[in-house]
Amino acid sequence: MKKTLDMVQKGRRARVRGLCAKGKLLHKLLDMGFVNNVEIEVIREAPLFDPMELKIHNYHLSVRRSEAHLIEIEEQE
Amino acid sequence: MKKIKVALAGQPNCGKSTIFNMVSGIEQHIANYPGVTVDKKVGFFKYEEYKVEMVDLPGTYSFSSYSLEERTAKEFIIDESPDIIVNVIDASNLKRNLYLTFQLLEIGIPVIVVLNMMDVAKRRGIEVDSKKIAFMLHCPVIEAIGSRGVGGEEVMKSIIATHENRENYEEFKINYEELEPHISLIEKEFEGTTSNLKKRWQAIKVLEGDTTIIERLKQNIPNIEETAKQEERIFHERYDRDFPSFLASVRYESADIICHKSLVEKNIKKETWTDKADKILLNRYLAIPILIFIMFLVYEISIVWGYKLTDYTWPLLAAIKNFVVDILPSADIIDVPMITDFGIWMVNSANALMNYIPIFFILFALIAIMEDVGYMPRMAFILDRVFRKFGLHGQSTLPLVLGGAMVGGCAVPGVMATKGIADERARMATILTVPYMNCLAKVPFYTLILGAFFKPDMALMMFFISTVTLFIALIVAKIFTSTILKTRETAPFLMELPPYHIPTFKGVIIRATQRVWVYIKKVVTIVLAVAIILFAMLQFPGLSVESQAKYDAQVETMLQKFDKKLETNSYYKEIDTREEVSSLLNYYDAYRAKRMVATSKESAKAVDEEYLERSAIYYKFLKPKSDKDAKTINKNLRKLSKERKRILRNVKNEKIENSLLGMTGKFVEPVTQYAGFDWKINVAFLSSFAARESAVATLGSIYENNKADGMRAEEAMALNSGYTPLHAIAIIIFMILTPPCIATMIVVKIQAGSYRWMIFAIFFPVILGIIISSLVFSLGSSYQWSGIEAMSYFYFTVVLLALILGLFPHRSKNWKGGIEIQNNNV
Repeated sequence: MKKTLDMVQKGRRARVRGLCAKGKLLHKLLDMGFVNNVEIEVIREAPLFDPMELKIHNYHLSVRRSEAHLIEIEEQE
Repeated sequence: MKKIKVALAGQPNCGKSTIFNMVSGIEQHIANYPGVTVDKKVGFFKYEEYKVEMVDLPGTYSFSSYSLEERTAKEFIIDESPDIIVNVIDASNLKRNLYLTFQLLEIGIPVIVVLNMMDVAKRRGIEVDSKKIAFMLHCPVIEAIGSRGVGGEEVMKSIIATHENRENYEEFKINYEELEPHISLIEKEFEGTTSNLKKRWQAIKVLEGDTTIIERLKQNIPNIEETAKQEERIFHERYDRDFPSFLASVRYESADIICHKSLVEKNIKKETWTDKADKILLNRYLAIPILIFIMFLVYEISIVWGYKLTDYTWPLLAAIKNFVVDILPSADIIDVPMITDFGIWMVNSANALMNYIPIFFILFALIAIMEDVGYMPRMAFILDRVFRKFGLHGQSTLPLVLGGAMVGGCAVPGVMATKGIADERARMATILTVPYMNCLAKVPFYTLILGAFFKPDMALMMFFISTVTLFIALIVAKIFTSTILKTRETAPFLMELPPYHIPTFKGVIIRATQRVWVYIKKVVTIVLAVAIILFAMLQFPGLSVESQAKYDAQVETMLQKFDKKLETNSYYKEIDTREEVSSLLNYYDAYRAKRMVATSKESAKAVDEEYLERSAIYYKFLKPKSDKDAKTINKNLRKLSKERKRILRNVKNEKIENSLLGMTGKFVEPVTQYAGFDWKINVAFLSSFAARESAVATLGSIYENNKADGMRAEEAMALNSGYTPLHAIAIIIFMILTPPCIATMIVVKIQAGSYRWMIFAIFFPVILGIIISSLVFSLGSSYQWSGIEAMSYFYFTVVLLALILGLFPHRSKNWKGGIEIQNNNV
């Protein structure tokens, strides 16, 4: 099974491997920097567990789990 | 004087507006871009022999066509062809900011890069070599610290220099490697067409699938879209990649190269200030209590303290009113000239709205502070999960709180605060639900009715009223988003949590002032227009001839009585004609009105002196001291004044009953009777549309007891109306649901962008209100519920319904291609 970003635990890092999105969402993800091989760190979850906060390209971004589910990743050690 | 047009572009949170305020000074104005509700800020400044017009484009992460802001920004560049683009970038977040810079450079208009927040970068141990960046990008790069006013002069100088040197402008090119042959192929398609836009840029945009550009090109090159699709297929087959992701990758890689060559990061692992703050503010257990505390603080400072502040500003407005009353022709006993009535009505309507300006100013300033600090997106982050269940967005928190999540708020700033919500459907839903929140001006109305019918249970009832509104708002939001707004565009939730910043005083004040000004310009003017219509509806057709004669006779008796009693008085010659009595009466009433608003001893004394100067003899009747005859006159004068007020009130009530508004109230009685409303209540609701406050005033005057003047409005209503507590509950429920005042409707129109939404926002709640209050009233009458029982049943039904709807699965996605399982390599 392919791993997606929503499965990554708090404090872990991952690299982007692919995006399951098209059109508007794809563009938005690309603009925010979800390009191939970029490293993402999961900083924390919101108090109600969704959305999650990420660090990407050295800035902080919050993403709903439904969106994170569309980002395929490979976990880093 | 020569002119230069400059576009100011940059990503959100890069400090673009501080740069804008720094450079353009205070000569700026806000409008909307044609056809859309996006703010267009324009500022002007003079430098050497140039007049520079600077347009602040909406902040965007990218320059494609996927959001309203991006589309607007791009259309501005295409249609207005500015001479220079000034690109503000955040030095502490260089890489992502450069992503936009590359897209701006490609346009082919000279770009000046402003490296803002140099101080923040330094504090974080980031050293930026701006000369290297300038060398690599072939454009001027200026270091700036917007919050401290550093770099403004250099930006102006650079604009002039770049403009004078525009002939030598060298086009910027990123090498897109594998994509280059496709770009040149598309460029060839443009042969023979003329456009002032650069061909390479248009070609890149076509390959990106940019709808704005493609639509424009189609007029000359009809098959452009097909050609681009064809190219994409070839590219995809050869490299297994798509144009958009390829372009994004190359841009981010190029940004990475520039960062590598021009940045030295020292303490890369060190925790920043923002990280530390977020550990507390976004802590799993502390986040929600802190958020509630901050909301409470905002509410307390703006609404509660602001309301107290109006105690000081109100006398000012009252003075304006008195001034207008003074210059208008005065009344002759009960014949008040139409122009006087009208003037007073208009001043009252304007004052009712102007009274809120201190509150709005504080509120807008606090919002500006929260925006600048960076707390807004965090608020959305914390509560998104709850609101999403009802089709709203984390960013709906603030509008709903302002609208009155607590005891009372105001929908006007609430609706205005919806502007920033990224998701179109959630934004519309928020605009339409904020008016259901507890309006501050409804509170006196509730107090009146609760005081009349539920004296012992007032606290419980007030609790029901103020908390039920939030649940109603959530239910309505859920209904709207799953029906009429179902097909509206939603946006993916990708929201930056920017570093915290200390806001600048100037920036906050400018923003608050501008928003208050928008309020005054748009709301007050239209409300006054509606006030005129309402005035006409209350005045016409007026009294019948018989009634007029009846009241005239009453006046005659009243005057004769007065005359007879004072025949033997030594001052009789001062008051022996009707004109004299009339002017004395006006003198007396005007004096009392002015003394009422005089708050200090000094101002009271000033009023005394003014009236002494106006007429020394009349003044004796005001303050008779030990003069026995004057005392008698004073006593009778007071009686006369009271009697005149009584007659005037009767005239007014009869006028209302016969007026167009009164007729409307009676006309809808067959429908409203199911909710237990008679025409009087209907009229009160109708007039409350102009401004909430007038509902209380209208009810008060309709039910005022003419015999016992000492009775308070609550008691009079309980006694004279013949209503039961169940009637009262129906009235309260209708009031909870009814549409907001016109001021709110105007902002709904501004934010939703059409009159149709405004009309919908008026009629939906009215119909809903009638249905629900009729239901409660009829059920209550047949099961003999008490008022409290009826309200409790209503309350718990609403809460239960909200909870059930919250558990319902929601459709949060409305964009295309969301859950495609097939894999696109990036």
